[in-house]
Amino acid sequence: MTIQREQVEADVLIVGAGPGGLSCALHLANLIEKHKASGAKSELSAENIYVLEKGREIGAHQLSGGIMDPKALAELVPDFEKTAPLDTPVTNDGVYFFRESSAWRLPITPPPLANEGNYIISLNKLVKWLGGLVEKKGVNLFTQFAGKELIYDGNRIAGVITDDKGLDKNGKPKSNYTPGYELRAKVTVLSEGTHGSLTKEMVNRLKLDGLNPQEYGIGIKEMWEVPAGRIETGSVAHTMGWPLDSDMYGGGWVYSMRDNRVSLGMVVALEYANPQFDPHEHFQKFKTHPFVRRILEGGKLVRYGAKTLPYGGWYSMPRNYVDGAVIIGDSASLLNAQRLKGIHTAIKSGMLAAETIFEALKAGDTSAKALKPFKEKIDQSYIKEELWKVRNFHQAFHGGLWKGILNAGLQYVTGGRGLVDPMRSEAGYERYAKRSGNGTLRDQSTRFKGDGNLTFDRLTDIYHAGVRHEEDQPCHLIVAEPDICSSRCVREYGNPCQYFCPAAVYEIVKDGEGSKLKINAANCVHCKTCDIADPYQVINWTVPEGGGGPSYDGM
Amino acid sequence: MKILVIAEQRQGKWNNTSFETLAAAQQVVAATSGIVSAAVLGKGVAALAEELATKDVAEVLLVEHELLESYTPDGYCAVLKQLIESAKPDLVLFPHTYQVRDFAPKLAAILGKGMVGDCVGFRNEDGKLVFVRQMFQGKAAADVTFTGAAPWFASFQSGAFRADLLAAGKGQKAPVKAVKVELKPEDIRTKPLELFKEAKSAVDLTQAPLIVAIGRGIKAPENIAKAEALAKVLGAELAASRPICDEGWLPMERQIGSSGQTVAPKLYLALGISGAIQHVVGMKGSRTIVAVNKDQKAPIFEIADYGIVADIFEIMPALTEELQKTKAAKA
Repeated sequence: MTIQREQVEADVLIVGAGPGGLSCALHLANLIEKHKASGAKSELSAENIYVLEKGREIGAHQLSGGIMDPKALAELVPDFEKTAPLDTPVTNDGVYFFRESSAWRLPITPPPLANEGNYIISLNKLVKWLGGLVEKKGVNLFTQFAGKELIYDGNRIAGVITDDKGLDKNGKPKSNYTPGYELRAKVTVLSEGTHGSLTKEMVNRLKLDGLNPQEYGIGIKEMWEVPAGRIETGSVAHTMGWPLDSDMYGGGWVYSMRDNRVSLGMVVALEYANPQFDPHEHFQKFKTHPFVRRILEGGKLVRYGAKTLPYGGWYSMPRNYVDGAVIIGDSASLLNAQRLKGIHTAIKSGMLAAETIFEALKAGDTSAKALKPFKEKIDQSYIKEELWKVRNFHQAFHGGLWKGILNAGLQYVTGGRGLVDPMRSEAGYERYAKRSGNGTLRDQSTRFKGDGNLTFDRLTDIYHAGVRHEEDQPCHLIVAEPDICSSRCVREYGNPCQYFCPAAVYEIVKDGEGSKLKINAANCVHCKTCDIADPYQVINWTVPEGGGGPSYDGM
Repeated sequence: MKILVIAEQRQGKWNNTSFETLAAAQQVVAATSGIVSAAVLGKGVAALAEELATKDVAEVLLVEHELLESYTPDGYCAVLKQLIESAKPDLVLFPHTYQVRDFAPKLAAILGKGMVGDCVGFRNEDGKLVFVRQMFQGKAAADVTFTGAAPWFASFQSGAFRADLLAAGKGQKAPVKAVKVELKPEDIRTKPLELFKEAKSAVDLTQAPLIVAIGRGIKAPENIAKAEALAKVLGAELAASRPICDEGWLPMERQIGSSGQTVAPKLYLALGISGAIQHVVGMKGSRTIVAVNKDQKAPIFEIADYGIVADIFEIMPALTEELQKTKAAKA
């Protein structure tokens, strides 16, 4: 049966209401407003801009450390300092090297990690505020609607189909069934954030890959409320070393916010060799380091979250414009891996996309040729200036921490060139050490459980992520070859899905003599790690029914 | 404009949305001009037609046929096609009911016409009738108009118009006109069976004074009978933690926890439940919690009043047996 979908037409359709997508909407609405105020006759209207957001409300799926360089926001909303929910300016920052029970502070903070003039923010709150500004302009903002599928007219992107609502576990319509809408647009903006599911499909289908495959890290975060006086508000600490080995890329952070709140977490590149490495467990261990414990002890966990981040940088950038669409923000690999920042580049890229789209709409041409100025604007902006200097940064660490520091130092003095330029890389999942092929199921009951005060197991943590999905719906995690788990993966890699997932979604359970995969899809925090880190690349993360997912209040 | 409202009845009982739609039709006529007629289909529904005739309508069309006793999409479509072809309305309005959702789009398609379903309002824009319907779960409203030739089809959402605003007829009752239609048994390709009401969930765990709950420790669906036996002799309801319902071993309505029910019985017997926070939030208010688990570090013991570190497969039959003995002794 073919599904009859309702069609809606828009000028611009933005998929994902994060900092990039909302900035694009706001800037475009502003441009249209100015254009009309100047007396120009125009068909353009903010009402013909549509924004889709899969979260329950604006900001629900926003997760960041989060330090923000405010320069792009200052361009978008010049009086932002008066109106935006900026938690606190950074007052001091330090970089520490951890050993199991000691911390050594680097005598100077390396300039890229210096945060003077930046703010520690809750990205959730900032994006909610930005959403409010966008709505005021008359833009149509649809929360609880996900972009499920791209509409192609040949090689042209003609819009998206939103998620079907009211399907049961087996894909059969329930009484509340509503088929997804067919949203057609002259320009579609893919601002899905890290490893977007539509972006992934489009980049593969239209062969838009950059020079290097994209590389990712997983970030795991907890928000704590600690007893007063533990740490000065606005202080920022970044850590290297323990509990990560020196052959791994990653580190921890502790940011102190207002009202005795502390944002802390750990980022680990998804390119480690041990397939049974557990990022969540290592983050829990990180909290037991005296430096961190001293701050947290006696406090309480308020919120938890996890999300991947694209590390690849300039050389992993896909082509970001095609007929009828552009890609912005994290989806377009615009995060600065050296500075660990991507909010400002997401905002800036959203604005540059808006300027390009505005001109294209006025000219009545939204072909790839008409959207190419987006790429050129990025090249001429501080986005490229920033990313070009660090184009080999993450790749420099592929030989481990010490070589990496050396390489990065060389790159720093040579404007990013270093010894080899471009440094090539492989996808992270190709770096697992394959076992001899006779691995067996590891007992899961001995997994890290935490003490329930300072450290937690994954189930307790995800309870604090506020995850909720409609229970009776088709599984949104599509495993192309589920047999591979018991036939090959257990022997070759020891089922890494059980370890890399920070939300205990993947479980290998006994099945007679063998084993089988059980997917607890309702736990999913939408971090995309599984799609990225699965060694056989058979997991496809697709969007669940709109409205499902975590609730990152205050994160 | 000539409007025909198809009123819905089932077994001689009105679907109340019919009156809302009739009121809507009166308002459309007031905003434009024209007349409203109503039609009722069925067998032995003359009294219903008489009732409609007391409203402010031009006429009531009564379609009676043996084969219309029960609703079938084929029967309704065949009959309404004939009715529309003879009555020649410009606009056919339906209440947006499950039944209408079933046959009305089909009817419109048979006649080669468009249908606007689930409208919440209308406007008269310079003589053009504009229907309003909600999209994106009510986050947006769309204006829709018809472009082709009449008749047009539209349905109104339940609650969009007020039935109490339905105007009664002034003075005389409207005429009831019986319309003859052709309908043969072979026209109808489906056979309605007996009507049934979906059983309301028989179990209300929130009211149960005693609950026996099982978790992953039960291991396999065939072991559930053992817990059931214990629940039965205790006079308790059987409940479960999420993985059990997730596997489909027990229905969802028996799930306790953040994505299920929240309960506070006098006794909560947790068998093979580890006590993840998602489960605990749904039962921590229980007056007495007894937990049985092999793992002495299981978090359930932190909130249990009585804890037994043991294999549930030893405890369940032993407990069942003891309780049976006690019961027998009392009796």
